[in-house]
Amino acid sequence: MRKKEQKLVITFHTTADAMAMEKACRESGVPGRLIPVPREISAGCGLAWCAPPDRRESLLEIMSQHGIEQEDLHECMI
Amino acid sequence: MNLSDSKKKLALAGAVCGLVAACLAYFGNPANMAFCIACFIRDTAGALGMHSAETVQYARPEIIGLVLGAFIISAATREYRSTAGSSPAVRFVLGMILAIGSLVFLGCPLRMIIRMSAGDLNAWIALIGFILGVGTGVIALKKGFSLGRAHLTNRMSGAVLPVLMLGVLVLALATTLLKSSESGPGSMHAPVVLSLIGGLVFGIFAQKSRMCFAGSIRDVLLMKNFDLLTIIGSFFVVMLIYNIASGNFVLAFDTPGVIAHSEHLWNILGMYAVGFAAVLAGGCPLRQLILAGQGSSDSAVTVIGMFAGAALAHNLGLAASGTALNAETQEIVAGAVPVNGKAAVVICIIVCFVVAFGNKRNEGR
Repeated sequence: MRKKEQKLVITFHTTADAMAMEKACRESGVPGRLIPVPREISAGCGLAWCAPPDRRESLLEIMSQHGIEQEDLHECMI
Repeated sequence: MNLSDSKKKLALAGAVCGLVAACLAYFGNPANMAFCIACFIRDTAGALGMHSAETVQYARPEIIGLVLGAFIISAATREYRSTAGSSPAVRFVLGMILAIGSLVFLGCPLRMIIRMSAGDLNAWIALIGFILGVGTGVIALKKGFSLGRAHLTNRMSGAVLPVLMLGVLVLALATTLLKSSESGPGSMHAPVVLSLIGGLVFGIFAQKSRMCFAGSIRDVLLMKNFDLLTIIGSFFVVMLIYNIASGNFVLAFDTPGVIAHSEHLWNILGMYAVGFAAVLAGGCPLRQLILAGQGSSDSAVTVIGMFAGAALAHNLGLAASGTALNAETQEIVAGAVPVNGKAAVVICIIVCFVVAFGNKRNEGR
Protein backbone atom coordinates (compact mmCIF):
# COMPACT_ATOMS: atom_id res chain seq x y z
CA MET A 1 0.00 0.00 0.00
CA ARG A 2 1.23 3.47 -0.90
CA LYS A 3 2.53 5.47 2.06
CA LYS A 4 0.55 8.65 2.78
CA GLU A 5 2.39 11.95 2.34
CA GLN A 6 1.66 15.56 3.16
CA LYS A 7 0.09 17.15 0.05
CA LEU A 8 -1.34 20.45 -1.04
CA VAL A 9 -4.98 19.97 -2.04
CA ILE A 10 -6.74 22.68 -4.03
CA THR A 11 -10.53 22.54 -4.26
CA PHE A 12 -12.63 24.37 -6.84
CA HIS A 13 -16.17 25.68 -7.24
CA THR A 14 -16.87 23.45 -10.24
CA THR A 15 -15.59 20.21 -11.75
CA ALA A 16 -14.80 22.18 -14.92
CA ASP A 17 -12.37 24.40 -12.98
CA ALA A 18 -10.57 21.28 -11.73
CA MET A 19 -10.36 19.96 -15.30
CA ALA A 20 -9.02 23.33 -16.47
CA MET A 21 -6.41 23.15 -13.70
CA GLU A 22 -5.27 19.73 -14.89
CA LYS A 23 -4.93 21.01 -18.45
CA ALA A 24 -3.03 24.13 -17.36
CA CYS A 25 -0.62 22.15 -15.15
CA ARG A 26 0.02 19.57 -17.87
CA GLU A 27 0.84 22.32 -20.37
CA SER A 28 3.16 24.02 -17.90
CA GLY A 29 4.83 20.82 -16.73
CA VAL A 30 3.80 21.44 -13.11
CA PRO A 31 3.44 18.19 -11.10
CA GLY A 32 0.20 17.04 -9.54
CA ARG A 33 -2.90 15.00 -10.24
CA LEU A 34 -6.68 15.09 -10.06
CA ILE A 35 -8.19 13.35 -7.04
CA PRO A 36 -11.71 13.10 -5.61
CA VAL A 37 -12.08 15.84 -2.97
CA PRO A 38 -10.93 14.17 0.28
CA ARG A 39 -13.94 13.31 2.47
CA GLU A 40 -12.51 15.14 5.50
CA ILE A 41 -12.48 18.36 3.46
CA SER A 42 -15.97 18.15 1.99
CA ALA A 43 -19.17 16.11 1.83
CA GLY A 44 -19.39 17.05 -1.85
CA CYS A 45 -18.18 14.80 -4.64
CA GLY A 46 -16.14 17.10 -6.82
CA LEU A 47 -12.54 16.91 -7.97
CA ALA A 48 -9.47 18.49 -6.44
CA TRP A 49 -5.87 19.10 -7.53
CA CYS A 50 -3.28 17.31 -5.43
CA ALA A 51 0.35 18.51 -5.61
CA PRO A 52 3.55 18.69 -3.54
CA PRO A 53 3.21 21.42 -0.86
CA ASP A 54 6.41 23.19 -2.00
CA ARG A 55 4.79 24.04 -5.38
CA ARG A 56 2.18 26.33 -3.86
CA GLU A 57 3.52 29.53 -5.45
CA SER A 58 3.84 28.12 -8.98
CA LEU A 59 0.36 26.61 -8.74
CA LEU A 60 -1.17 29.90 -7.63
CA GLU A 61 0.60 31.66 -10.50
CA ILE A 62 -0.75 29.19 -13.06
CA MET A 63 -4.27 29.61 -11.66
CA SER A 64 -3.94 33.38 -11.90
CA GLN A 65 -2.69 33.15 -15.51
CA HIS A 66 -5.57 30.89 -16.59
CA GLY A 67 -8.32 32.63 -14.60
CA ILE A 68 -8.96 29.58 -12.41
CA GLU A 69 -10.48 30.47 -9.05
CA GLN A 70 -9.87 28.16 -6.12
CA GLU A 71 -12.47 27.40 -3.49
CA ASP A 72 -9.89 26.59 -0.83
CA LEU A 73 -6.32 25.40 -0.19
CA HIS A 74 -5.61 22.58 2.23
CA GLU A 75 -2.60 20.66 3.39
CA CYS A 76 -3.39 17.09 4.35
CA MET A 77 -2.08 13.53 4.30
CA ILE A 78 -3.00 11.83 1.03
CA MET B 1 -16.93 8.40 12.32
CA ASN B 2 -14.96 8.91 9.13
CA LEU B 3 -16.21 6.26 6.73
CA SER B 4 -13.99 7.22 3.84
CA ASP B 5 -10.43 7.08 5.20
CA SER B 6 -9.98 3.48 4.10
CA LYS B 7 -11.41 1.16 1.50
CA LYS B 8 -12.43 -1.24 4.28
CA LYS B 9 -14.72 1.36 5.84
CA LEU B 10 -16.14 2.27 2.43
CA ALA B 11 -16.82 -1.42 1.83
CA LEU B 12 -18.52 -1.56 5.24
CA ALA B 13 -20.81 1.34 4.26
CA GLY B 14 -21.78 -0.48 1.06
CA ALA B 15 -22.39 -3.68 3.00
CA VAL B 16 -24.67 -1.90 5.51
CA CYS B 17 -26.69 -0.41 2.62
CA GLY B 18 -26.82 -3.90 1.04
CA LEU B 19 -28.16 -5.34 4.31
CA VAL B 20 -30.83 -2.64 4.43
CA ALA B 21 -31.92 -3.44 0.87
CA ALA B 22 -31.91 -7.19 1.58
CA CYS B 23 -34.01 -6.71 4.74
CA LEU B 24 -36.56 -4.57 2.90
CA ALA B 25 -36.80 -7.17 0.10
CA TYR B 26 -37.26 -9.93 2.71
CA PHE B 27 -39.97 -8.00 4.53
CA GLY B 28 -42.10 -7.25 1.50
CA ASN B 29 -40.63 -4.86 -1.08
CA PRO B 30 -41.13 -6.10 -4.67
CA ALA B 31 -38.92 -8.98 -5.76
CA ASN B 32 -35.69 -7.86 -7.39
CA MET B 33 -36.55 -4.22 -6.63
CA ALA B 34 -35.75 -3.98 -2.91
CA PHE B 35 -34.59 -0.36 -3.03
CA CYS B 36 -34.96 1.54 -6.31
CA ILE B 37 -34.87 5.32 -6.38
CA ALA B 38 -36.61 5.79 -9.75
CA CYS B 39 -39.31 3.17 -9.01
CA PHE B 40 -39.93 4.56 -5.54
CA ILE B 41 -40.09 8.16 -6.76
CA ARG B 42 -42.53 6.97 -9.43
CA ASP B 43 -44.63 5.23 -6.73
CA THR B 44 -44.57 8.33 -4.52
CA ALA B 45 -45.55 10.54 -7.49
CA GLY B 46 -48.47 8.16 -8.03
CA ALA B 47 -49.47 8.38 -4.36
CA LEU B 48 -49.60 12.17 -4.73
CA GLY B 49 -51.84 11.82 -7.78
CA MET B 50 -49.23 13.04 -10.26
CA HIS B 51 -50.01 10.01 -12.46
CA SER B 52 -52.87 7.52 -12.50
CA ALA B 53 -51.16 4.16 -13.08
CA GLU B 54 -53.05 2.31 -10.34
CA THR B 55 -50.48 -0.43 -9.77
CA VAL B 56 -47.61 1.91 -8.92
CA GLN B 57 -48.94 4.29 -6.28
CA TYR B 58 -47.47 4.26 -2.78
CA ALA B 59 -45.68 6.93 -0.75
CA ARG B 60 -42.41 5.05 -0.27
CA PRO B 61 -40.96 5.83 3.18
CA GLU B 62 -37.53 4.84 1.83
CA ILE B 63 -37.36 8.00 -0.32
CA ILE B 64 -38.47 10.16 2.61
CA GLY B 65 -35.98 8.41 4.90
CA LEU B 66 -33.08 8.90 2.49
CA VAL B 67 -33.57 12.66 2.31
CA LEU B 68 -34.25 13.01 6.05
CA GLY B 69 -31.34 10.70 6.95
CA ALA B 70 -28.92 12.80 4.88
CA PHE B 71 -30.42 15.98 6.35
CA ILE B 72 -30.14 14.82 9.96
CA ILE B 73 -26.59 13.45 9.71
CA SER B 74 -25.30 16.46 7.77
CA ALA B 75 -26.86 18.86 10.29
CA ALA B 76 -25.50 16.82 13.22
CA THR B 77 -21.97 16.73 11.78
CA ARG B 78 -22.00 20.37 10.63
CA GLU B 79 -21.88 19.41 6.95
CA TYR B 80 -25.26 20.90 6.07
CA ARG B 81 -24.65 23.70 3.55
CA SER B 82 -27.54 25.48 1.90
CA THR B 83 -26.40 26.08 -1.69
CA ALA B 84 -28.15 26.99 -4.94
CA GLY B 85 -27.74 28.65 -8.31
CA SER B 86 -26.13 26.14 -10.65
CA SER B 87 -28.47 26.20 -13.69
CA PRO B 88 -31.56 24.91 -11.82
CA ALA B 89 -33.84 24.70 -14.87
CA VAL B 90 -31.29 22.57 -16.75
CA ARG B 91 -31.02 20.35 -13.68
CA PHE B 92 -34.83 19.97 -13.64
CA VAL B 93 -34.62 18.62 -17.21
CA LEU B 94 -31.72 16.32 -16.27
CA GLY B 95 -33.89 15.01 -13.41
CA MET B 96 -36.66 14.23 -15.89
CA ILE B 97 -34.15 12.36 -18.07
CA LEU B 98 -32.90 10.37 -15.07
CA ALA B 99 -36.46 9.22 -14.36
CA ILE B 100 -37.53 8.55 -17.96
CA GLY B 101 -34.34 6.63 -18.86
CA SER B 102 -34.67 4.59 -15.66
CA LEU B 103 -38.31 3.74 -16.29
CA VAL B 104 -37.57 2.57 -19.84
CA PHE B 105 -34.89 0.24 -18.43
CA LEU B 106 -37.09 -0.41 -15.36
CA GLY B 107 -34.78 0.70 -12.59
CA CYS B 108 -32.26 3.31 -11.52
CA PRO B 109 -28.53 2.44 -11.29
CA LEU B 110 -29.12 1.18 -7.72
CA ARG B 111 -31.73 -1.28 -8.93
CA MET B 112 -29.53 -2.18 -11.91
CA ILE B 113 -26.95 -3.45 -9.39
CA ILE B 114 -29.67 -5.24 -7.40
CA ARG B 115 -30.98 -6.87 -10.58
CA MET B 116 -27.42 -7.86 -11.57
CA SER B 117 -26.97 -9.48 -8.16
CA ALA B 118 -30.14 -11.54 -8.77
CA GLY B 119 -28.74 -12.90 -12.04
CA ASP B 120 -30.89 -10.73 -14.34
CA LEU B 121 -28.78 -10.69 -17.51
CA ASN B 122 -30.80 -7.74 -18.88
CA ALA B 123 -29.24 -5.60 -16.14
CA TRP B 124 -25.75 -6.76 -17.14
CA ILE B 125 -26.56 -5.69 -20.70
CA ALA B 126 -27.83 -2.34 -19.42
CA LEU B 127 -24.58 -1.85 -17.50
CA ILE B 128 -22.84 -1.50 -20.89
CA GLY B 129 -25.11 1.45 -21.69
CA PHE B 130 -24.63 2.97 -18.24
CA ILE B 131 -20.82 2.84 -18.51
CA LEU B 132 -20.95 4.31 -22.02
CA GLY B 133 -23.28 7.08 -20.77
CA VAL B 134 -20.95 7.95 -17.89
CA GLY B 135 -18.03 7.80 -20.35
CA THR B 136 -19.75 10.29 -22.65
CA GLY B 137 -20.34 12.56 -19.67
CA VAL B 138 -16.65 12.31 -18.77
CA ILE B 139 -15.73 13.37 -22.33
CA ALA B 140 -18.03 16.38 -21.87
CA LEU B 141 -16.28 17.22 -18.57
CA LYS B 142 -12.91 17.07 -20.35
CA LYS B 143 -14.26 19.40 -23.04
CA GLY B 144 -15.10 22.00 -20.41
CA PHE B 145 -18.75 21.23 -19.57
CA SER B 146 -20.11 23.11 -16.58
CA LEU B 147 -23.51 24.16 -15.26
CA GLY B 148 -21.83 26.97 -13.30
CA ARG B 149 -21.04 27.18 -9.64
CA ALA B 150 -23.49 27.02 -6.76
CA HIS B 151 -23.43 29.72 -4.10
CA LEU B 152 -24.22 29.67 -0.42
CA THR B 153 -27.77 30.83 0.11
CA ASN B 154 -30.29 31.27 2.93
CA ARG B 155 -30.33 28.27 5.25
CA MET B 156 -34.06 27.74 4.72
CA SER B 157 -33.69 27.04 0.99
CA GLY B 158 -31.77 23.83 1.54
CA ALA B 159 -34.30 22.59 4.08
CA VAL B 160 -37.30 22.86 1.74
CA LEU B 161 -37.10 19.36 0.24
CA PRO B 162 -36.56 17.62 3.61
CA VAL B 163 -39.59 19.51 4.99
CA LEU B 164 -41.69 18.59 1.93
CA MET B 165 -40.69 14.95 2.44
CA LEU B 166 -41.68 15.20 6.09
CA GLY B 167 -45.04 16.57 4.90
CA VAL B 168 -45.55 13.56 2.61
CA LEU B 169 -44.76 11.29 5.56
CA VAL B 170 -47.35 13.03 7.75
CA LEU B 171 -49.95 12.77 4.98
CA ALA B 172 -49.15 9.07 4.53
CA LEU B 173 -49.34 8.24 8.23
CA ALA B 174 -52.11 10.54 9.46
CA THR B 175 -54.54 10.87 6.56
CA THR B 176 -56.15 8.82 3.78
CA LEU B 177 -55.49 11.51 1.17
CA LEU B 178 -52.69 9.66 -0.63
CA LYS B 179 -53.36 6.93 -3.17
CA SER B 180 -52.16 3.42 -2.43
CA SER B 181 -52.09 0.54 -4.91
CA GLU B 182 -54.17 -2.54 -4.11
CA SER B 183 -52.33 -4.72 -6.61
CA GLY B 184 -49.06 -4.68 -8.54
CA PRO B 185 -45.63 -3.44 -7.40
CA GLY B 186 -47.12 -0.48 -5.49
CA SER B 187 -49.01 -2.86 -3.20
CA MET B 188 -45.86 -4.76 -2.28
CA HIS B 189 -43.94 -3.11 0.51
CA ALA B 190 -42.20 -3.71 3.79
CA PRO B 191 -43.91 -2.32 6.96
CA VAL B 192 -43.86 1.49 7.01
CA VAL B 193 -41.67 1.80 10.11
CA LEU B 194 -39.12 -0.65 8.72
CA SER B 195 -39.04 1.15 5.35
CA LEU B 196 -38.56 4.50 7.07
CA ILE B 197 -35.77 3.21 9.32
CA GLY B 198 -34.18 1.51 6.30
CA GLY B 199 -34.29 4.76 4.36
CA LEU B 200 -32.81 6.72 7.27
CA VAL B 201 -29.94 4.26 7.76
CA PHE B 202 -29.27 4.06 4.02
CA GLY B 203 -29.35 7.87 3.80
CA ILE B 204 -26.92 8.29 6.69
CA PHE B 205 -24.39 5.80 5.31
CA ALA B 206 -24.78 7.12 1.76
CA GLN B 207 -24.11 10.67 3.01
CA LYS B 208 -21.06 9.69 5.02
CA SER B 209 -19.58 7.50 2.27
CA ARG B 210 -20.67 9.68 -0.71
CA MET B 211 -22.10 6.54 -2.36
CA CYS B 212 -22.83 7.25 -6.03
CA PHE B 213 -23.24 4.84 -8.91
CA ALA B 214 -22.38 7.31 -11.67
CA GLY B 215 -19.61 8.90 -9.59
CA SER B 216 -17.96 5.53 -8.98
CA ILE B 217 -17.53 4.90 -12.71
CA ARG B 218 -16.67 8.55 -13.39
CA ASP B 219 -13.84 8.39 -10.85
CA VAL B 220 -12.46 5.19 -12.38
CA LEU B 221 -12.56 6.59 -15.92
CA LEU B 222 -11.25 10.03 -14.98
CA MET B 223 -8.74 9.33 -12.22
CA LYS B 224 -8.42 5.54 -11.90
CA ASN B 225 -9.77 6.02 -8.38
CA PHE B 226 -11.68 2.99 -7.08
CA ASP B 227 -12.91 4.38 -3.71
CA LEU B 228 -16.57 4.84 -4.68
CA LEU B 229 -16.59 1.62 -6.68
CA THR B 230 -15.57 -0.23 -3.50
CA ILE B 231 -18.90 0.78 -1.92
CA ILE B 232 -20.87 -0.46 -4.93
CA GLY B 233 -18.83 -3.69 -5.00
CA SER B 234 -19.59 -4.58 -1.39
CA PHE B 235 -23.26 -3.62 -1.86
CA PHE B 236 -23.38 -6.02 -4.84
CA VAL B 237 -21.73 -8.84 -2.88
CA VAL B 238 -24.20 -8.55 0.03
CA MET B 239 -27.18 -8.58 -2.34
CA LEU B 240 -25.66 -11.51 -4.27
CA ILE B 241 -25.34 -13.53 -1.07
CA TYR B 242 -28.90 -12.63 -0.07
CA ASN B 243 -30.31 -13.59 -3.48
CA ILE B 244 -28.47 -16.92 -3.56
CA ALA B 245 -29.44 -17.73 0.05
CA SER B 246 -33.10 -16.82 -0.49
CA GLY B 247 -33.38 -18.67 -3.79
CA ASN B 248 -33.99 -15.49 -5.77
CA PHE B 249 -30.87 -15.86 -7.93
CA VAL B 250 -31.94 -16.84 -11.46
CA LEU B 251 -29.35 -16.41 -14.21
CA ALA B 252 -31.56 -15.66 -17.21
CA PHE B 253 -33.02 -13.06 -19.55
CA ASP B 254 -36.77 -13.70 -19.67
CA THR B 255 -37.62 -14.21 -16.04
CA PRO B 256 -41.30 -13.50 -15.36
CA GLY B 257 -42.27 -11.56 -12.28
CA VAL B 258 -39.05 -9.63 -11.68
CA ILE B 259 -40.22 -6.46 -13.45
CA ALA B 260 -37.68 -6.46 -16.30
CA HIS B 261 -37.75 -6.77 -20.07
CA SER B 262 -35.30 -8.11 -22.67
CA GLU B 263 -35.30 -5.38 -25.29
CA HIS B 264 -31.52 -5.12 -25.20
CA LEU B 265 -31.09 -2.00 -27.31
CA TRP B 266 -33.54 -0.07 -25.12
CA ASN B 267 -32.05 -1.40 -21.91
CA ILE B 268 -28.71 -0.08 -23.14
CA LEU B 269 -30.03 3.26 -24.41
CA GLY B 270 -32.21 3.84 -21.33
CA MET B 271 -29.24 3.44 -19.01
CA TYR B 272 -27.00 5.33 -21.44
CA ALA B 273 -29.28 8.35 -20.96
CA VAL B 274 -29.23 7.85 -17.18
CA GLY B 275 -25.42 7.53 -16.98
CA PHE B 276 -24.93 10.55 -19.23
CA ALA B 277 -27.45 12.75 -17.38
CA ALA B 278 -26.13 11.63 -13.99
CA VAL B 279 -22.59 12.82 -14.77
CA LEU B 280 -23.94 16.14 -16.08
CA ALA B 281 -26.09 16.58 -12.94
CA GLY B 282 -23.21 15.58 -10.66
CA GLY B 283 -24.68 12.34 -9.33
CA CYS B 284 -27.00 9.38 -9.82
CA PRO B 285 -30.64 9.49 -8.59
CA LEU B 286 -29.61 8.24 -5.13
CA ARG B 287 -26.86 10.86 -4.84
CA GLN B 288 -29.29 13.62 -5.87
CA LEU B 289 -31.55 12.72 -2.92
CA ILE B 290 -28.56 12.74 -0.54
CA LEU B 291 -27.19 16.06 -1.87
CA ALA B 292 -30.69 17.54 -1.57
CA GLY B 293 -30.81 16.32 2.03
CA GLN B 294 -27.50 18.00 2.88
CA GLY B 295 -28.69 21.36 1.58
CA SER B 296 -28.30 21.53 -2.21
CA SER B 297 -31.30 23.28 -3.73
CA ASP B 298 -29.89 22.41 -7.17
CA SER B 299 -30.20 18.72 -6.33
CA ALA B 300 -33.65 19.35 -4.82
CA VAL B 301 -34.71 20.77 -8.19
CA THR B 302 -33.24 17.67 -9.88
CA VAL B 303 -35.30 15.48 -7.53
CA ILE B 304 -38.46 17.45 -8.36
CA GLY B 305 -37.52 16.95 -12.04
CA MET B 306 -37.38 13.20 -11.36
CA PHE B 307 -40.90 13.35 -9.89
CA ALA B 308 -42.12 15.20 -13.02
CA GLY B 309 -40.30 12.75 -15.33
CA ALA B 310 -41.69 9.73 -13.50
CA ALA B 311 -45.22 11.12 -13.71
CA LEU B 312 -44.80 11.90 -17.43
CA ALA B 313 -43.42 8.41 -18.03
CA HIS B 314 -46.77 6.97 -16.99
CA ASN B 315 -49.08 9.74 -18.19
CA LEU B 316 -47.62 9.60 -21.72
CA GLY B 317 -47.03 5.86 -21.88
CA LEU B 318 -43.22 5.96 -21.89
CA ALA B 319 -42.47 3.39 -19.17
CA ALA B 320 -41.64 -0.17 -20.17
CA SER B 321 -43.60 -3.22 -19.06
CA GLY B 322 -41.99 -6.20 -17.35
CA THR B 323 -42.00 -9.79 -18.58
CA ALA B 324 -44.90 -11.57 -16.90
CA LEU B 325 -46.63 -14.92 -16.68
CA ASN B 326 -50.21 -14.99 -17.98
CA ALA B 327 -52.12 -16.55 -15.10
CA GLU B 328 -54.78 -18.11 -17.38
CA THR B 329 -52.65 -19.50 -20.21
CA GLN B 330 -49.44 -19.97 -18.18
CA GLU B 331 -47.58 -18.42 -21.13
CA ILE B 332 -44.72 -15.98 -20.67
CA VAL B 333 -45.64 -12.54 -22.02
CA ALA B 334 -42.48 -10.63 -22.95
CA GLY B 335 -42.08 -7.16 -21.46
CA ALA B 336 -41.61 -4.33 -23.92
CA VAL B 337 -40.72 -0.69 -24.36
CA PRO B 338 -43.61 1.24 -26.00
CA VAL B 339 -42.92 3.34 -29.11
CA ASN B 340 -43.48 6.50 -27.06
CA GLY B 341 -40.81 5.34 -24.63
CA LYS B 342 -38.31 4.69 -27.41
CA ALA B 343 -38.95 8.15 -28.86
CA ALA B 344 -38.57 9.68 -25.39
CA VAL B 345 -35.20 7.98 -24.80
CA VAL B 346 -33.88 9.25 -28.15
CA ILE B 347 -35.05 12.77 -27.25
CA CYS B 348 -33.46 12.43 -23.78
CA ILE B 349 -30.10 11.45 -25.32
CA ILE B 350 -30.23 14.36 -27.79
CA VAL B 351 -31.01 16.74 -24.92
CA CYS B 352 -28.05 15.34 -22.95
CA PHE B 353 -25.73 16.10 -25.87
CA VAL B 354 -27.14 19.63 -26.21
CA VAL B 355 -26.67 20.24 -22.47
CA ALA B 356 -23.23 18.58 -22.40
CA PHE B 357 -21.69 20.47 -25.26
CA GLY B 358 -23.70 23.70 -25.02
CA ASN B 359 -22.74 24.64 -21.46
CA LYS B 360 -19.16 25.77 -21.05
CA ARG B 361 -17.03 26.72 -18.07
CA ASN B 362 -16.55 30.35 -19.01
CA GLU B 363 -20.24 31.11 -19.51
CA GLY B 364 -22.03 33.34 -17.04
CA ARG B 365 -18.86 34.88 -15.61
